[in-house]
Amino acid sequence: MFKKFSLEDISAQNQVKASVQRKIRQSIADEYPGLEPLLDDILPKKVPLIVTKCQNHLNLVVVNNVPLFFNIRDGPYMPTLRLLHQYPDIMKKFQVDRGAIKFVLSGANIMCPGLTSPGGALNEEVLEETPVAIMAEGKQHALAIGYTKLSAKDIKTINKGIGVDNMHYLNDGLWKMERLE
Amino acid sequence: MAEKPQAVRVLYCGICGLPAEYCEFGPDFEKCKPWLRRHAPDLYPDLLLKEENETDADKAARQLQSVAISGSGDGDSSSAPSGSASASKQDEVKRLPGGKIKKKEKQEVVIEKIVRNKRKCVTVVKGLELFGIKLSDASKKLGKKFATGASVVKGPTEKEQIDVQGDIAYDIVEFITETWPAVPETAIFFIEDGRKVAAA
Ligand SMILES: [Zn+2]
Repeated sequence: MFKKFSLEDISAQNQVKASVQRKIRQSIADEYPGLEPLLDDILPKKVPLIVTKCQNHLNLVVVNNVPLFFNIRDGPYMPTLRLLHQYPDIMKKFQVDRGAIKFVLSGANIMCPGLTSPGGALNEEVLEETPVAIMAEGKQHALAIGYTKLSAKDIKTINKGIGVDNMHYLNDGLWKMERLE
Repeated sequence: MAEKPQAVRVLYCGICGLPAEYCEFGPDFEKCKPWLRRHAPDLYPDLLLKEENETDADKAARQLQSVAISGSGDGDSSSAPSGSASASKQDEVKRLPGGKIKKKEKQEVVIEKIVRNKRKCVTVVKGLELFGIKLSDASKKLGKKFATGASVVKGPTEKEQIDVQGDIAYDIVEFITETWPAVPETAIFFIEDGRKVAAA
């Protein structure tokens, strides 16, 4: 989604009303309970929250020019990788084997076998249509943010085709957009 | 309420910007290596070890070459490494002012444009100090000439370099040769697409 993404793709940028700001905070807190104690640091109440609307119904939540979360239409908010790197435990994690790394980093969706092979790992609790952190065999930090197409259980039993959509990955357009300026 | 987790500090590569552990999958691992050797040697022990051996071999080769030059009574020219590349290497060795051969650093200025965030870029100038130019002075002059920010910073290796904001790569050669006549145009190089190109 962010394979080619730059400032030109941002069509509108709005400071949101206090009520909307509260709503966004709340849905982020609901989605990532581990983030709750940090919300005041990450989304300070006094700093205006900017929501930028981009193509394909994509929204970015921006604070102090730094993109922190994104979502599609009214879908769940997902952290940017730079934010996730700081707070890796806020998301449930899947792990791809080493062989899958270069495909994920070229923007490919995540295939089931890359998660079920000996180098992969699944958090069994994860259901379909859930944001997950994509980790990699032998690496400490996440390389992508995914949105599951199948539950962890189905990924295991079906074990072919796409298991997780690749939403955002290292070195894609959003990664490179460290700040909006 | 749960305890506040501490933010993890991730080591991002100073060259490609990825977490250092992903440089091997990044756009140009070769370029990252000098930085990694200095800042994250534990992440790539094998590669870095191999690299060191290579440079040792390089050094050995160079020593052999300089021996060949100093004892240059011909006859054994057939044993010289082949090709024009080696010839130009010898040239460079010879050109160095006396006694500096053992200092393996070549006396040249290298200019590289680095694009940050698509629209912003920085022109990096390396090697002016090899011509006896004070970098802080040079940085001031460059900033003034191009009406932009210029600063002396520590580069990816321990060496200092000058970072000039903006793309000034193509005006800079003239400025350097005019301001510091000690720097011949033939000693100025650009890095373009990872390759070194002579400015002259
Ligand atoms: Zn790197």
